Amino acid sequence: MNSVEEKLWSYIDGTCTDAEKLHISQLIETNEVYRSMYQDMLAFNQEMQQIELEEPSMPFTYNVMEAIRQEEALKPLKASIDSRIIKGITAFFILTISVVLIYAMSSVNWSAGGHMALPINIKLPSFKSYLSGQAMQSFLFFDVILALYLLDGYFRKQRNAKNV
Amino acid sequence: MQSKLSDIVLIEEILAGNQSAYADLVKRHQRFVFTLAMRFAKNREDAEEIAQDTFIKAYRSLSAFGQQSKFTTWLYTIVYTTAMTFLRKKRLDTSSINDEDTFIQLENQNGALDNNLAENKSRSFYLNQAIEQLLPDDAMIIALFYQGEQSLEEIAVTLGIEPNNVKVKLFRARQRLKEKLERTLKHEVKELI
Repeated sequence: MNSVEEKLWSYIDGTCTDAEKLHISQLIETNEVYRSMYQDMLAFNQEMQQIELEEPSMPFTYNVMEAIRQEEALKPLKASIDSRIIKGITAFFILTISVVLIYAMSSVNWSAGGHMALPINIKLPSFKSYLSGQAMQSFLFFDVILALYLLDGYFRKQRNAKNV
Repeated sequence: MQSKLSDIVLIEEILAGNQSAYADLVKRHQRFVFTLAMRFAKNREDAEEIAQDTFIKAYRSLSAFGQQSKFTTWLYTIVYTTAMTFLRKKRLDTSSINDEDTFIQLENQNGALDNNLAENKSRSFYLNQAIEQLLPDDAMIIALFYQGEQSLEEIAVTLGIEPNNVKVKLFRARQRLKEKLERTLKHEVKELI
């Protein structure tokens, strides 16, 4: 690495300390090598600053804006709806239903139907006959099998989740 | 400073829902963004694609721009990442700049430009040619420093490296550029003889 060049670039870019700056400026004044190189670098810098920027095609801005418009149009509808509006509508319906229910409940005469009885006699089957010892054992056995099956499925899911 | 304030005012307008204000922001920065893209892509079609992607990405994440840095620094970071992604996709050759083959290959890529040499004999033209032969990273640093007038600290933010590294990289990029320039001029003199 050329230390003279490096020092001079630091001086030109203004990245050296004040002490270094003073030292280099003295070198430029007194040393012909430094002075000549410094002049070359200044000329190079000037040339670099004069390089013109590239120009994109005429419809560039239009193309960018068109792409943005298309992207905005393709956004799903739910993304563009404010969630506060949805919450407001929900609150309105809950409030309305609650008011209607409270009004309906408060206007009912609860003591009016106290002694109501069915006009006909319905013979219900006796369930005690189905609850024999064997039936209960079969039912419990089926429950145990079902519980073991579900437990197995649960542990399998947990193990798979851990592996992932 | 005025430009920075104006950029921020425009951004506030865009975020308030005035989408057309973004067109002003694009017009303001498109030339430099396109120039940076050209340093990576080497042809106008690809550079336009990179520049367009950059502005679309910037629009999408405009609300995330925290104003800790200048808008331009933030925008140039997007140019850099977009261009790097583009290069990866295109699998362009980014081998060492000292590789002789790279020089020849890039020289051949610029064959169309060589045909116009007789009409464009200015030193600025050769300088542009030499910049085109640089590696994208070197060309980016040169462009950000000279055309973008970015400080070493701002370039460091854009490239995601330390300011001291930028200083070293800028020094090396200038050296390589001078080498390339001398090579191009020598080649041109030979052609004239």
